[in-house]
Amino acid sequence: MIEVKGLSHQFKIGKKGKETIIPVLEGINLKVESGKIVTVVGRSGSGKSTLLNLISGYIQPTEGEIFIDDHHVTSFNESKWADFRLHNLGFIFQSFQLIPSMTAYENVELALTLKGVHEKERKAQTEKLFKKVRLEKFMDHYPSELSGGQQQRVSIARALILNPPIILADEPTGSLDSDTEDELLDFIKQLNHEMGITFLIITHDEKVAKIGDRIIEIIDGALVEEEDAS
Amino acid sequence: MRFKDQFKFVRQNMKKNKTRIFMTVLATAMGCAFLIVLASVGFGLQKSIVEEITQDRLMTEIQVHGKENEENAGITMDDITYFEGLGHVKAVTRRQMVDQQGEFRVGEFRAEGNAVVVDFPSETKAGFELSEGRLPEADNEVVIGHDFAESLAKWNGKETAPLNEDGTVKEEFKYKGELIGETLNLGVKQYEGEEEKSKSFDVKIVGIGKKPTKDWEWDPNIYISEKVLSDIEAFTGTPNGTVPPPNLPAEERELMEQRKDRFYSQVSIYADDIENVKTISETIKDKKYFAYSVVDEMEQINTVFLIVKSGLIFIGTIAIIIASIGIYNTMTMAVTERAPDIGIMKAIGANPSTIKRIFLIESSYIGLLGAIFGTMVAYLITFGVNWLLPIILSNAFGEPIPGDFKFSHIPLSLPLICIGICLVVTILSGLRPARRATKVDVLKAMRREV
Ligand SMILES: Nc1ncnc2c1ncn2[C@@H]1O[C@H](COP(=O)(O)OP(=O)(O)OP(=O)(O)O)[C@@H](O)[C@H]1O
Ligand SMILES: [Mg+2]
Repeated sequence: MIEVKGLSHQFKIGKKGKETIIPVLEGINLKVESGKIVTVVGRSGSGKSTLLNLISGYIQPTEGEIFIDDHHVTSFNESKWADFRLHNLGFIFQSFQLIPSMTAYENVELALTLKGVHEKERKAQTEKLFKKVRLEKFMDHYPSELSGGQQQRVSIARALILNPPIILADEPTGSLDSDTEDELLDFIKQLNHEMGITFLIITHDEKVAKIGDRIIEIIDGALVEEEDAS
Repeated sequence: MRFKDQFKFVRQNMKKNKTRIFMTVLATAMGCAFLIVLASVGFGLQKSIVEEITQDRLMTEIQVHGKENEENAGITMDDITYFEGLGHVKAVTRRQMVDQQGEFRVGEFRAEGNAVVVDFPSETKAGFELSEGRLPEADNEVVIGHDFAESLAKWNGKETAPLNEDGTVKEEFKYKGELIGETLNLGVKQYEGEEEKSKSFDVKIVGIGKKPTKDWEWDPNIYISEKVLSDIEAFTGTPNGTVPPPNLPAEERELMEQRKDRFYSQVSIYADDIENVKTISETIKDKKYFAYSVVDEMEQINTVFLIVKSGLIFIGTIAIIIASIGIYNTMTMAVTERAPDIGIMKAIGANPSTIKRIFLIESSYIGLLGAIFGTMVAYLITFGVNWLLPIILSNAFGEPIPGDFKFSHIPLSLPLICIGICLVVTILSGLRPARRATKVDVLKAMRREV
């Protein structure tokens, strides 16, 4: 469960002393229950990515608190954040963010390696997951040797490898064509059903937004719940 | 992350830029080789000089030359008894010279030389070594020096001995037979007023001393017991068989004859172990004795060389520091190049300390490789120098260099010191780039803005 309380964020740009303050989020409160899919929509520049980056710990909020599974993550230092991310959160990015110098296999294995899992165990788990995303033939391909959809499936495999209870996704279908998008959405629904993984998905695509149990819109830095979500 | 995986990761990264890594390792290796070769000259000279000093001497020996602030500065029997009573003393030998040139005859052969008076029981304990025969048991038995036979020449009644130009006895006059068991006739003289009188003592040769360790040393002396000395003194009427000049004033001559105490000119204390030499030496120095041991000299030499070697290692370290600038550059480049990857790793949960460690492992690995290759090259150079330099020098100066003289020597500690210095320097130079790696901004990295 993700709980956001009174979250505000402003960016400062320009030189010291002559800074311009850009307010993006204002007193946001949000609760994402475990096992749910929540999608966030909003105009470009409305602060969707900023919200997700705050929940991911990539930036620190100007004000407010975030709790993830009862951990007060806004009080974490960098090192604690890193360990927490590794063990509790999975990430899917619009531009995949695979390490280009590593093969698909190595990219997926990375989180296991960081966790300190033995090589044998890593191999077994990674190979099993590649079968699940139906990419076992492409394990030794470098990201540049894969299609966009294949790359995104590799990045989903990487997000899943440590069985996180929560997956955060920023425009996961943004770089995919319509057919691949459908495939990915089905897979997300399947993961949510079968494994009870909580998803927080940011999108400006209506089709994607509709898979959410709840749809939330950011308007002028504040959250608006869309009642008509099914 | 396991160390094995970190190391594997580092190796994979290093393989991506082989040329750059190779050049950096090369620079480090050159620095290390420079340090080791430079310092090895200090170690080599020290080793050669120390070996030269200790070669022919007993390391457990302490020579006592006299006593400070005393009316008579000589060492007497009382002093020797005191030395013998000290702890860890194996033996105390005492020697003196018969104070006149002796004339030695064996049959029709004759030689001139020194008679050294020794106390055989203590010499035996101290380890007096013979090449042949045995040590004296009876009072009239003597040991001859190793080269005594060489100095014997067939006496033709003339004043000058039949010698070659270099001082050796001409071949046809040389003594050829066995000397052990022969009777040696020891002649001494004294003036009575203006008149010279002489007396000879018959002693039996029972042993031949060991060859002196140095090639150029020569031992034509004979070693007699204190009883024989007493007999000589009874004849000369002076201590040690001294021959006073005939014109010496009567009072002084009387004073000399009345001197009762016997002084020993060469007194040596032998410690039971080299470890105890220093303690004994300090104890007797506190009692105002003039003492000297090789260990004392070694300490001074070692101090000088410690300073020299430290200086050389310091200069060598500068070379490594210069090489470390290369490492700093390489690591900075590596961090810059890999910043997007680092950002992604941080985004999925890589701990900053892990990232830092990976870069530190990389820089110390470069340092270690450099140190190892540098050490290997240094061994080759040292080998070459020790082989080539004596040849060049002996050609240039026309004099052969002693065969075992080493210009350069690498003790095991030197590569270890070098590797230690190298690791410290490379880790220090990798520290800043590694810290920079941990500061990579995740969002900027993912936008490829770094
Ligand atoms: N690092 C930054 N420094 C300054 N301003 C920033 C920074 N990041 C984002 N902003 C500003 O914050 C606002 C929200 O940006 P954000 O990326 O969250 O929008 P978004 O809703 O994700 O838009 P999009 O749908 O186009 O991805 C924008 O006005 C943007 O200019
Ligand atoms: Mg965005």
